[in-house]
Amino acid sequence: MLEHIFLIPILLGILCFFLPSRLGRGVLVGGGLATLAGASALWFGDQPGGGAYFQVTPEGQLVLLVVSFLFVLVTVYTLGYLRDAPIRREPIFLGCMLLCLGTMSMVALADHIIVLWVAIEATTLVSAPLILLHHSKEALEATWKYVMVCSVGIALALLGGFFTIMAMGSGNVDLSLTFHGLAGEAAAFDPSWLKAGFIFLLIGYGTKMGLAPMHTWLPDAHSEAPSPASALLSGMLLNCAFLGVFKAHLLMTAAGLAVFSGSLLVVFGLLSVLVAAVFIIQQNDYKRLLAYSSIENMGIIAFGIGIGGLAAYGAMIHLIHHALIKSSLFLSAGNILLGYGTKMIADTGRLARFQPRTAIALVGGFAGISGFPPFGIFLSELLIIFGAFQKGSYSSVAVLIFSLILIFAGASRSIIRISFSNWEGQMKIGENLPRIAPSWILLLTSIGLTVWMPEKMEQIIQAVMTAIGGSLHG
Amino acid sequence: MTATVGVLLALVFLSVLFSLSSHRLLELIRMMALQGIFVSLVPFLMETHEGFALLNFVLLAVMVFIKGAAIPGLLWLAMRKIQIRREIEPIVSYHVSIFIGLAIILTSVFVSHRMETVALSAHPLLLPAAFTTLSAGLFLLMARRKALTQVIGYLMMENGIYLAGSALARQTHTQYLVEFGVLLDVLVGVMIMGIILHQINDSFDDADTTFLESLRD
Repeated sequence: MLEHIFLIPILLGILCFFLPSRLGRGVLVGGGLATLAGASALWFGDQPGGGAYFQVTPEGQLVLLVVSFLFVLVTVYTLGYLRDAPIRREPIFLGCMLLCLGTMSMVALADHIIVLWVAIEATTLVSAPLILLHHSKEALEATWKYVMVCSVGIALALLGGFFTIMAMGSGNVDLSLTFHGLAGEAAAFDPSWLKAGFIFLLIGYGTKMGLAPMHTWLPDAHSEAPSPASALLSGMLLNCAFLGVFKAHLLMTAAGLAVFSGSLLVVFGLLSVLVAAVFIIQQNDYKRLLAYSSIENMGIIAFGIGIGGLAAYGAMIHLIHHALIKSSLFLSAGNILLGYGTKMIADTGRLARFQPRTAIALVGGFAGISGFPPFGIFLSELLIIFGAFQKGSYSSVAVLIFSLILIFAGASRSIIRISFSNWEGQMKIGENLPRIAPSWILLLTSIGLTVWMPEKMEQIIQAVMTAIGGSLHG
Repeated sequence: MTATVGVLLALVFLSVLFSLSSHRLLELIRMMALQGIFVSLVPFLMETHEGFALLNFVLLAVMVFIKGAAIPGLLWLAMRKIQIRREIEPIVSYHVSIFIGLAIILTSVFVSHRMETVALSAHPLLLPAAFTTLSAGLFLLMARRKALTQVIGYLMMENGIYLAGSALARQTHTQYLVEFGVLLDVLVGVMIMGIILHQINDSFDDADTTFLESLRD
């Protein structure tokens, strides 16, 4: 039985709607820990065999661990956050957080083409109330865009799924419709249906993943959501959507069409990085800045997977570290928002003086996300760039490096402004331990994983790469 | 059975054209209910297997209920709450919309002929109908200002995909449980959209998406 991993948080989430908020907070922590325990059991214990719908796959296992680990830290932050910034309908907030965790775990474990779609669409629906929470006009607008754009986008992914099933022809009635199951037989499938299917899957799940030009909802949703929810959307949910894109690419690779799907991924990836660069340079809202940075990093991951080989290895490492560092940054942004009461960069300053520990986390996280050692993104971006050189895609690497420089230039200006520039005024709310510790732990985990990666994790990443036909040596 | 399927698909075409031209929201919602029923009947009538199992009938009833009654019912409730009867000043006018609808039908027929589906040779109208419904839904979504009409556009699109998918995939696979999951998602989606719609109406005094333009770079 695999299903208990996501059923527990889903049931607890529903329970939360009916509990008083004090009890609900306990349930939230319990649900997070239970899922982390379930995820770790998959890593260290025996792996239960999957059924027709759910299976343990290396990429799913990786994402599940990242998601459940991040969730526990975000809950700690949430407890501190709720103390300083009460939320009017707390049971709904807590319940939707848990439902979100449950549906995300479901995505990580689902391998059936349509069940994966059901799970990803469910994540959109349960996370929408999280964005709507403050009931401001901006939040309403962001939620409407989020639900409409993502639902319409993901609807196209369903069509892509049906096309992929059509590619099988009528011969293989007994084959189960899981991505890994189909991959074994994919060589015999009709390539034109497969290609059509992939395009729709990429557009659909790419919308949810935030790839340009389907990213329009992302900066709004991620900046209007309360900060713990932003961390959840940016650090965890995007990775789940990535799984959809990845599995589609896996099927294409098995069918011998990796060149087609890979080059599409490279194009969408580069476009995302470029778009992010343009908007980061002239950004004056720090939460939107972080949201665009998520688009950039999802673009880098898509680029790396599209190139394959060493770059795909880099992309998987990038996924882990982006999740860790970006969540940390959004949590720090939450502290800043509580302190200054505004999201405008121009109205902030001297964070190092007023919230020194948040300032360290912010600057550290910024160094991490820009690719400085000792953070893991240094390593992953280096691997992706080397991998692309190995494959001889010089022009696309040039575009990538150029955009990364622009992004660094744009973001550093804002981060320095927040941390050190002049600001006269009174902090509304200071920092406290439960709102500091999670972002520090996230950054330290990123450093730790850069210095020493557990052998088991190394094996899993290798297994992910073998699935898309790559290895460390090209 | 082939003739019945053909008639149903022709009705789907008509419902698409009708919804592109109608400016009363109530009419649109009724059209959606009818279209939902046609769309959920098609795959069942295409079934080539001998005999009808009881489970099939129950599922048919549930699907017809959700697509033909539950979802339109939710839309109707939302319409009553926000007290909007008609769509005034659409982005694309109604005459142009019908013309575009016809163009969509032509393109869909052309595209489907290029796709050469052996499995569907008995139902030449199926793929054109699916593509038409899908693209017309997408068009409706972009061409109208009222939030409720946009939800209807989304539903129409979903109908098209359902038509394509369940009919295509049913040829090789029968997986009711999975289809049911998809339908459940759509249902909950419409519910949540309805709630947001209501709140938009409360905050802006009108559920018009032109108000939703404050977030930009």
